[in-house]
Amino acid sequence: MAYRTHGVFAMKFKYGMLTPLLALFVVAVGFPLCYAAYLSVTDYKLTDRTPPDFVGTANFASALTNPAFWEAFATTATYVVIAVSAELVLGFALALALHQQRWAKDLSRAIVLAPMFITPIAVGLIFRFLLNDQIGAVPALLHAVGADYDFFGAGKALLTLAFIDVWQWTPFMVLLILAGLESMPKQPMEAARVDGAGPVYRLRRVLIPMLAPVLTVAVLLRGLDALRVFEYIYATTRGGPGTETQTLQYFMYLEGIQFFRLAQASAMAFIVLALVLVVIVAAFRAMERNRVAERSAAR
Amino acid sequence: MASVTFSKVGKAFGSTSVVSDLDLELTDGSMTVLVGPSGCGKTTSLRMLAGLEQVSAGTIHIGDRDVTALEPKDRDIAMVFQNYALYPHLTVRENIAFPLRAKKTARAEALRRADEIAESLGLGALVERKPKDLSGGQQQRVAIGRAIIREPAVFLFDEPLSNLDAKLRVETRTELLRLQRQLGITSLYVTHDQEEAMTLSDRIVVMREGRIAQAGPPGEVYRRPADTFVATFVGSPKMNLVDGTVTGGELRTESGVRISVGGPQASSVTIGVRADDLILTPDADGAAVVELVELLGPRAIITVRSADQQLTSVVEAAALTEITVGATVGLSARDVHRFDAATGRRLDA
Amino acid sequence: MTRRFTWLETLRLAVLAAAFVFVLFPIVWVALASFKTPEQMSEPFLFAFAPSLANWQAVFASGVFAAAGRSALVGVITVAISLVVGSMGAYVIAKYRAGGSLTRFGMLAAQVVPPAVMVFPFLTMAQALRMTDTLAPVIFAHLSFVLPLVTWFLIGFFEAVPASLEEQARVDGFTRWQAFRLVVLPQVYPGIGAAGIFGFTLSWNDLFYGLILAPGNAAILPVAIANFNTFRGVQIGTMSAAIMIAIIPVVIASFFIQRRLVQGISGGAVKY
Repeated sequence: MAYRTHGVFAMKFKYGMLTPLLALFVVAVGFPLCYAAYLSVTDYKLTDRTPPDFVGTANFASALTNPAFWEAFATTATYVVIAVSAELVLGFALALALHQQRWAKDLSRAIVLAPMFITPIAVGLIFRFLLNDQIGAVPALLHAVGADYDFFGAGKALLTLAFIDVWQWTPFMVLLILAGLESMPKQPMEAARVDGAGPVYRLRRVLIPMLAPVLTVAVLLRGLDALRVFEYIYATTRGGPGTETQTLQYFMYLEGIQFFRLAQASAMAFIVLALVLVVIVAAFRAMERNRVAERSAAR
Repeated sequence: MASVTFSKVGKAFGSTSVVSDLDLELTDGSMTVLVGPSGCGKTTSLRMLAGLEQVSAGTIHIGDRDVTALEPKDRDIAMVFQNYALYPHLTVRENIAFPLRAKKTARAEALRRADEIAESLGLGALVERKPKDLSGGQQQRVAIGRAIIREPAVFLFDEPLSNLDAKLRVETRTELLRLQRQLGITSLYVTHDQEEAMTLSDRIVVMREGRIAQAGPPGEVYRRPADTFVATFVGSPKMNLVDGTVTGGELRTESGVRISVGGPQASSVTIGVRADDLILTPDADGAAVVELVELLGPRAIITVRSADQQLTSVVEAAALTEITVGATVGLSARDVHRFDAATGRRLDA
Repeated sequence: MTRRFTWLETLRLAVLAAAFVFVLFPIVWVALASFKTPEQMSEPFLFAFAPSLANWQAVFASGVFAAAGRSALVGVITVAISLVVGSMGAYVIAKYRAGGSLTRFGMLAAQVVPPAVMVFPFLTMAQALRMTDTLAPVIFAHLSFVLPLVTWFLIGFFEAVPASLEEQARVDGFTRWQAFRLVVLPQVYPGIGAAGIFGFTLSWNDLFYGLILAPGNAAILPVAIANFNTFRGVQIGTMSAAIMIAIIPVVIASFFIQRRLVQGISGGAVKY
């Protein structure tokens, strides 16, 4: 419910409250964005001593035609799809399991949620050594049963990284879905039970549709975050083997910090931003349409 | 203690006019009730007096102060909302004492007075509780206590009884009335329930589409409604309205309805008869047939059908032996209201 | 209360048990590793061994604690600013329709900007102001993603507060600001708690901005931990100890936080 605002007092209050936020936004978000936009149309290098030259869209063109850029894009997309799908399924199962837990509720939840609070670089390093061929416990286990699996080897490294993501971030999905489950009205499920629906049917036809908004938000948030994966790669493969695990964020880091091509890196970053915005707008529209459809169906 | 004057008050949202040309005076110490269907502008008018809505036209005075441009906090008013708006994070005592904080009253003094008021409202044992642990009726009394503690010039009520169940509503209504009389504070009360309006008001104001349809003491509005809208809005069951011609003391319609009404000749007139005033006489040649009998204890509501009209009558239970479903009856009326068939306005103003 | 052990219940417990093992195994392994000497490290399954405190001593001597302190400082400042400014803004966005529907979208969009876009301007600005390798640029960089998140989060919570509460407070004699502070704000405390925790966690966990803006003397914790990243055996042990330092407070905190977090989120933010 919103207030109707007319009158001097309302206006003064409204803008008075908003100004600090706007000001900070401009400084911390707006200004860097504009400056990055400026950088992306120059040929600025970190080692430059002279002011940079204006090169128009040259950076964008070279990025869009750079096969390494698109490879990084594909790598990132694969990573996100694998990781988030796994997190959705596992997170959902775990949330359901926790939701029904009656004893030691706090403890079980605290354990399950713990990984998401650990700083990602630490998680990356833990798995780097846990899965390391010489000193890691998991390969040792595999050797003991005669199996051999090179976690960070060619063709497998990206999967391993996705697995690390799943370890750390499934708890995030669990958290959101659990919150959704706990704030869900109980009547529809009870009604379905009374109507004779079995547990699988209730799951598919009642629970999941009711949770759809929560699941959508969770996937969206997690997906956007997974796009920015950097720490796991920095801790383990550094983009390798070859360029197999070079995700977008890591690729741009190399461009800017290792090769000093700040302008190029900025241009690439804007391209990524544009792609992400397209996805978000589409998602927002879909969610709005759902909300409107729900409201008219409710009438 | 003060009077309240609305002068030519209007309110528009964009190009939609919600209240137009409102002229209303609330005399000092009186209880005025605004009543009408949804969207008639009664709540908006109340909120304009409160200062929660900005006035688009006209002025509002409390006493001789022009408050039109003042913020709510400077108007010396108290308000009870439909959902009571109790502060969930404060106890009952703190809720009641809260307005005194704005007046910078010392905390100990404020809490003491809050306790006194809570006691007088029967909430003494509950002062430590939070609103969520109270019943609807108790919450409502806390809201009232919070309004009383300010000793304001005007009380405003926005449908405070709507959230209570029917029985509690009637009980609380009586308490509210007694309280208002005792405190003698000028009050403006909004409701959509005409029965509530009739019982509570010193003065009832029926609103429709942003304007006053009729204002006056409840008895007068009931006995002499100014138009068909007021006539059918006030009083339950709804007043019977029939369009037709009066010849020889009988109202006739083209479809064949016949009611004995007395009075002079009239062509093209709307006759209004309250259910209490519609008399059913068992008569084999009668113009109406009994359709439905709803027993209410000592009385019953009878629905009869005459040609294309459905009419309502209230009869004593004793008469039900002869008036049963399917019986044919003749219709006659006493105390008839005449309205112009085209405009709906009362004809003998 | 009797519980019927249907296959569903068994499955549920199995899922939970698997999750526990999955979660705890790496953590326990690192905990053990932090007490191992380099020779012991080469045997991955050595569970019964004489623990050594060498790693921990080395870590205490290194700058890890200082880095943790810096991370905490940055996190607290970022969150404090974000909560104050964000709650004020979120309130008028939610209740006064400030900025229209564009602002809500804008908040989400701001979180989505890849750090690679923002970090280089921050770097060049820091260079220009001769503030490279200090905490101030890091704080601004963190604000760039914590502030929108906190605001976006709180908008949902403020929307859930009935308008009549503020109106009642204004009629009771308070100004709009007082009504906000005394009446509306207390209703969203759980939301503020959850937002604060989320914001602090995001700031605490950041590596990217910290790595680029403050790689050396002003290193924040994730950067300090990353600096242990070599293949020499002795470093692994010390690194494990450093990781434990980063993990322990967090795991303990998560025990107390998780209930508040679930409550806080289901209170408002789930309605995106």
